[in-house]
Amino acid sequence: MGARRTRRTRPLAGEPDNGVSRHQELELAVHQAVASVDDPEYPGVSIVDLGLLEAIEIDESGAVAIGLVPTFSGCPALAVIAADVSQAVDAVEGVRTTSVTWLTSPAWTVERISHDARQQLASEFTVAVEIGRRAPSCPRCGAPTVEQSLFGPSRCRSVHRCSSCHETVEVMRS
Amino acid sequence: MVRSWSSMEEFEAFLDDGGIVEAEDDMPDEYRTAVFRFIELHANSEQMGGLTERDWIPRTPGLRHKMSVIAKTQDEFGHAHLLYMVAADMGIKTRTEMLEDLFAGKSRFHNVFHYRVKTWAQQVAVAFLVDAAALASQQAVFKNCSYGPYRRILKRIISEEGFHMRLGEDRMMRIAQGTEMQREMFQDAMNDWWWPALQLFGPDSKPDDKLLRWHIKSERNEDLRHKWVQKFVPMLQSYGFSIPDPGLHYDDETKQWMCGPIDWEPLKKTFANVGPDSERRINEASSHWETSAWVRDALDEHARSQASLTTA
Repeated sequence: MGARRTRRTRPLAGEPDNGVSRHQELELAVHQAVASVDDPEYPGVSIVDLGLLEAIEIDESGAVAIGLVPTFSGCPALAVIAADVSQAVDAVEGVRTTSVTWLTSPAWTVERISHDARQQLASEFTVAVEIGRRAPSCPRCGAPTVEQSLFGPSRCRSVHRCSSCHETVEVMRS
Repeated sequence: MVRSWSSMEEFEAFLDDGGIVEAEDDMPDEYRTAVFRFIELHANSEQMGGLTERDWIPRTPGLRHKMSVIAKTQDEFGHAHLLYMVAADMGIKTRTEMLEDLFAGKSRFHNVFHYRVKTWAQQVAVAFLVDAAALASQQAVFKNCSYGPYRRILKRIISEEGFHMRLGEDRMMRIAQGTEMQREMFQDAMNDWWWPALQLFGPDSKPDDKLLRWHIKSERNEDLRHKWVQKFVPMLQSYGFSIPDPGLHYDDETKQWMCGPIDWEPLKKTFANVGPDSERRINEASSHWETSAWVRDALDEHARSQASLTTA
């Protein structure tokens, strides 16, 4: 999972300082709401598992600020994702307002994609993830793939071919 | 492991059983040819669709829409790229042969790309009506597709086309809530694009349609068309737009919208590459191919020099 940074505020008046505070509960609920949002191009794959969530900040009044990082800055899905996140977080009990910001740093990298999401991309979408300079392995047979073109249908993906079963594979890269 | 079947009956039984054919299998020639033609038509349509979309990049109003048009252009070319790879693997035509046939006007591509998109409102109508129709056809193919490599590519294409449809709906809502002039432009666009979009599903499927028998298509053309009409007639009417079909009526007994008679002549013309805008479209695509030849040459030269470096 991508690094999640949250700013802790002091416990609300009258709540216990030990154990799970109301603030922590709310923070957890907001996190779950953000995690319920899927990537618009990969239905079933959460944006949190793809490493887009960077920060959740909640103040005493219940104003929530969500910081997200885009896979690349010109991504056409930014407005749709932000609207989906805003809607999901607004529905959480105890949230008064929600603001969603696309951060310009840190830069998103493929290392932010969770292990589960990697498995899901491979088994459900035949999409591999490129880590470092090693040739990504074919989601179908596990053999190394060879790059055919630097770009595919999106700027965050290149097109490869499997060296063994010849499958056409899309590869997510940073 | 190469699988083979001793007869067409045995092969069809395998397909009826939910069997998935892979590229390396020794499939019957008729099946290979039919599937190849179908994927080639799909690839050509993505390619021509990408060119249409690209034409609109400089003319799209507003940064937000412009970003989505740029990304959609890349999506369509990316889809064409993946589909041409899968089609070429079938060993009937190479990727270059497919592209050259397309640009020489010898291949087919979907009817909607044989018309000119004249205004931004028309581009919105295309994104709204045509993308939905294309998505419905592709979903019906994906549902039961017996050719593995195509099925896996379709899964990704469908998720992306679903996203395009959302963008199309967003643009339609904006124009529907716009000024009187914008609404009039959109109504004009509907008048021009309703029939081509509806005909994208093709004429009624033949009783012995092989693509249905071999589990490439899962639904008959007329059934898909009918479902699309059920969705779009009430949606457009709820926004106060009218449908340019004088024969359209609601059947109280079946509770279904029924179209008037369909004139199939325009569709036949697009099949023969003599639609209203076919010539200009093909010529323009062909001239892009020629003027970009130096890029392909440079890439080939680069690959050759890299190869000679590693062998040296």
